[in-house]
Amino acid sequence: MKKKRKLRRLKIGKREENQLLDLYQRKLIEALKELRLPVLMLHFALTVGTLGYMVLSGGDFINSFYMTVITIGTIGFGEIVEGSDTLVGRIFTSFLALSGIGIFTTSVTITVRLIFKEDIINLYRAIRMLKEIENLSNHFIVCGYNEITARLIKLLRKRKIEFVVIDGRSEVAVRLQEDNVKYFVLEEPFKRSVLISAGIMKAKGLIVNLEDDARNIAVIVTARLLRPERDNFLIYSFAPTEETAQKLEELGANRAIVPARLLATRISAYIFHIGSAFISDLFDRIAFGEESDIDILEFGVSGGSPLVGKMLKEIDFRRKLSVTIIAIRRTTGELDINITGDTQIEEGDTLILFGSPKNLRRAQRILGNFERVERLLGGKVEV
Amino acid sequence: MRFKKIFTDFFILMALTTNISFIVTPNPYELVITVAANLAATILKIGEGRILSTELMAASLVADLHLVPALFLFFLGDPQEAISLSVGALAANVISVLLSIIETILSVFTVEED
Repeated sequence: MKKKRKLRRLKIGKREENQLLDLYQRKLIEALKELRLPVLMLHFALTVGTLGYMVLSGGDFINSFYMTVITIGTIGFGEIVEGSDTLVGRIFTSFLALSGIGIFTTSVTITVRLIFKEDIINLYRAIRMLKEIENLSNHFIVCGYNEITARLIKLLRKRKIEFVVIDGRSEVAVRLQEDNVKYFVLEEPFKRSVLISAGIMKAKGLIVNLEDDARNIAVIVTARLLRPERDNFLIYSFAPTEETAQKLEELGANRAIVPARLLATRISAYIFHIGSAFISDLFDRIAFGEESDIDILEFGVSGGSPLVGKMLKEIDFRRKLSVTIIAIRRTTGELDINITGDTQIEEGDTLILFGSPKNLRRAQRILGNFERVERLLGGKVEV
Repeated sequence: MRFKKIFTDFFILMALTTNISFIVTPNPYELVITVAANLAATILKIGEGRILSTELMAASLVADLHLVPALFLFFLGDPQEAISLSVGALAANVISVLLSIIETILSVFTVEED
């Protein structure tokens, strides 16, 4: 009895893991199952025909098989097999043709219909894709495919960030394929099983843009229940109004963006900085990731880091790492922009670094490793 | 009584028995019936979602891949090689029967659990 209970528990655990993959595999098995009857009928007709002609010809298998194929395949080249031109042979051929031709055409029709109607090819592709998604980590999940998310995906692709699109509308499939989207799941995103199949447990974040508040809420709540930690799993959502945005943030979104507010703010920035339009636009583009040569990075100084207590001139970021510190955000939330070489780094500070994306990535790698920071402070410049 | 199971198991056993009879007394009709029974057993396993269906399918395919060349070799004038291949297929047939028995026992437990 104990063993039986254990078996059941194991089975349930597996189902929780990737329900959608199991469902698709079951669907494919069901679709393939329907191929059995037509193929078996064809096999039966071929066997009866071959054995019949073998009896007539005294055991000539190859010609008997060929004669059966040309008879039921409506080719009918003639009476090739020895004994098929006799009275018995012709009676046998007549019965084989009458039943066999029907079986042949029915089998071929059913097989072709099954392959196209049941969408066996697409089902197989979806299974393969879900298996590949299982291997992803630190990726983003994009719920809802439309103009905005299509643009967002282009930017993610530019930064080589992997993503999975989820959309419940089957008509979106064509567009996703046209746009070369590598991973997508054509299911409703608010289902727990769908989010798990999209790799939510290993993902870095979720972007929700379903153009419907109720559905956005359903996805955010389901996702947040699966990944409750706000710092490790980011949820960004679109909201039509400020009120909805507030609700979505309370329900679990890290940030709910109101497109109207965003556009208004951006246009106003141009109006307010008419005199310095270039710089205003540059900062704007850097902030929105549109500038590919320059970027900004926030680096948090953790406790125990050799950087704590050091003055900026001791580190010499500009020479050693080819990046510039433009400001420091203190633990109090205050932004220190009047920094000099004598400014001291404190524990919990966030350094705002400015430079090329390549140098920023390198700086992040070095600053995140205490031993490398020690070497850097000791005067060694790493390549 | 499950008629589908009878039908499937019939072909699995039929493949084994006709194969043995072909090996004992090589005969063209026996060989064609063996191949036909084996292919029917394979077709019936397409799309099976049972516990050991993948293993059963694999064993069946192995038998087919031995018997189909054996069929051609037998009629192209190399009956000795055809018999050797049939012995290979026999091993796969025996495994198929054993797997089928194991699967039947396992499915009884699964039904009890549900």
